[in-house]
Amino acid sequence: MSLLSKVKEAWVGLRAGRVTLAYPAAPAPAPERFRGRPIFDAAKCIGCAGCANNCPAREILVYDVCQEIRILKYLGRRCTYCGRCADVCPENAITMSREFETATPRIGDLQQRIELFMSTCQRCGRCFDPPSKLDELKLRGYRFDDLENERWIFRSSAYLEGQPVVDDVPLEMD
Amino acid sequence: MKAREKERTLRERFGAAIRRTDVTSPGRWCLYVAPEAIREVCRFVFREMDARYVISVGMDDRPYSGRFLVSHNFAFDRDGILAAFLAELPPDRPEIPSIAGEVPAAGWAEREFRDLVGIEPKGHPYPKRLVLPDGWPDGVHPLRKDHAWNEVPEDWDDEVTFRFDDPPEGCTVVPFGPFHPTLDEPAHFRLYVEGETVRGCEYRGFMVHRGIEKLAESVMSYNDIPMLAERICGICGCVHNVAYAQAVESAAGIQPPPRAEYIRTVMLELERLHSHLLWVGLACHILGFDTLFMQAFRIREPLMWIAEKISGNRKTYSLCLVGGVRWEITPPLAAELRGILDRLEKEWNEVAQAVGRDRNIQRRTRGVGMADARLVKELGLLGPVARAAGVDIDCRRDHPYAAYDRVEFDVVVELDGDVWSRVLVRVREVFESIRIIRQCLEKMEPGPIQTPIDEELLPGRIGLSSVEAPRGESHHFVVTGENNRPRRWRVRAPTYQNLQGVPAMIRDQTLADMTIALGSIDPCFSCTDRLETVDLRTGLVKVWSQAELEQLVRARKSH
Ligand code: SF4
Ligand code: SF4
Repeated sequence: MSLLSKVKEAWVGLRAGRVTLAYPAAPAPAPERFRGRPIFDAAKCIGCAGCANNCPAREILVYDVCQEIRILKYLGRRCTYCGRCADVCPENAITMSREFETATPRIGDLQQRIELFMSTCQRCGRCFDPPSKLDELKLRGYRFDDLENERWIFRSSAYLEGQPVVDDVPLEMD
Repeated sequence: MKAREKERTLRERFGAAIRRTDVTSPGRWCLYVAPEAIREVCRFVFREMDARYVISVGMDDRPYSGRFLVSHNFAFDRDGILAAFLAELPPDRPEIPSIAGEVPAAGWAEREFRDLVGIEPKGHPYPKRLVLPDGWPDGVHPLRKDHAWNEVPEDWDDEVTFRFDDPPEGCTVVPFGPFHPTLDEPAHFRLYVEGETVRGCEYRGFMVHRGIEKLAESVMSYNDIPMLAERICGICGCVHNVAYAQAVESAAGIQPPPRAEYIRTVMLELERLHSHLLWVGLACHILGFDTLFMQAFRIREPLMWIAEKISGNRKTYSLCLVGGVRWEITPPLAAELRGILDRLEKEWNEVAQAVGRDRNIQRRTRGVGMADARLVKELGLLGPVARAAGVDIDCRRDHPYAAYDRVEFDVVVELDGDVWSRVLVRVREVFESIRIIRQCLEKMEPGPIQTPIDEELLPGRIGLSSVEAPRGESHHFVVTGENNRPRRWRVRAPTYQNLQGVPAMIRDQTLADMTIALGSIDPCFSCTDRLETVDLRTGLVKVWSQAELEQLVRARKSH
């Protein structure tokens, strides 16, 4: 009995096809829906910060230099390629590319920084229309993420009074 | 309604100790019990009403209700009810009678809420620290609401090492792990060995805590958490993703559209297929039978490709949001999936027939790693381990979710309770999964895949959800909260219960069988160790490897 099963096992092994790809000797194109590195299109972005607010990894920072200039920075460090930013972007400014060979010793190769000239509405979360109530902006108005230390600022004590500052960089506005 | 009948039984027996109850939906039941009576109520429910123990959850509810809460969750599998037995505790003296003496399966969960929330289980038979690292100061409880998610206590000392229990008389200690060729993730078993025979062991795990629950409760939001949840596990990630979404839906009364439910079912079964194939391969690998290991992986690969085509990634599908799914299965994808299933069925049939009679595998696995029906009940063991011991439980049938109530399938049960039975259960479950996916593809009607959510979720609602992962039931418990995120989210992966059964499974077996016995529960340590603050992770691992390596090196030298 056992011998027969060994023969059968050998048969399975002998007839086996191959699933190992020749990659990296030959290119291995990713399928159409593949979620690779997100690419931001500065020409389309309106700076609504919807992506920044819905990125589970907090990989997108927003910093308001002044009333009119907003900086959007994609950090490219622990992005999970989940594609949520591309989902919620109202302007389709983000594409989940098919790029997956992103290993690099310089993080700058992956980072993207967009400077945006904003029109003046600032209290509405720059007019982000959330697909559902659960995607609503958690931060409205001015955003002061910490670009230098690449940190998302969850709350600034200045405009949510009475609530504890959760992150380690307390900000004061005058 | 069945829950109401049970409520009557409990009220007759315990009177005023049952404070109030709430049947939130036909299969969900919350019951508030006086803390003094909780031990007796749980004993009664576990022993006389034959409920299955699921998990215990500790909560710091002081900012909302001014109290601490403990919830002991039980499942009535025959009646399709998931029940939470809640006790409210005063804020100044968070103590509750321990139920671990009556319900041994609760041993770990009570130690866990003692560590993390600081609720004292009075009279626990073995109140040793479970989750927190050994250098963590007493009296600091990271899951309390007044403890910030990124706060490391000042008197944290990463030099403190674990205090082992004394081995029994006449036994030698053999350390197994934290790093071992058959362990994919760090965990430490200290085996007490007499000659070649294992007499017992002490377990120290929780070395890869990632602070997931704390992060979710204090930083992320409802629709961020699914992407975090699926990273609890590298193999059954989609299970956690779906279980979380369902728990929130159950709390908030959201009904995902039927097509979304079918898609969830298809993806969950795809995941089970690849996981079972992977497991059979790994089990063969542990036994030294690498031919089949290679074949199992070859047969599995097309499943990964189709998953990538549907969801954009081989493994992290990012499938669910609260109220629906993100990826549509288009007709061409469905056709391709059907083709892959046909081929898989044929190839797996050949493997199943060959393996089913292979005496070499049987010699290594029969009578090894025994877990009988009694052990399954006592320790709340789950999934293939339970089904291989003749315990007929499967959440897909007992607590139907997604589209499982609309498809036909058999629950595979074997009787011997050894590793061989677990092999057979998994080998045969592959065919059931293929059957389920085919039916789903057949029955799916076109339609939306996401329910619109126009209002904020009401805070303070309790949601329970169980999903049958490849390894057993994954249970998620959610209390909705303010700020667009849950107040409490507790994940109980199947390995959490199954690992507690390992010491009993390997007792009086030979040392060489340890690896396959452990492998047979398909352990997933990072699922179990999902708690704790992130920053400490590296420190913790370092302490362990140093101590362990030193110990190992010294042991070598003295030879
Ligand atoms: S892909 Fe996901 S993790 Fe990456 S930036 Fe977009 S939302 Fe964030
Ligand atoms: S969501 Fe789109 S438009 Fe809005 S800030 Fe992000 S990239 Fe720009």
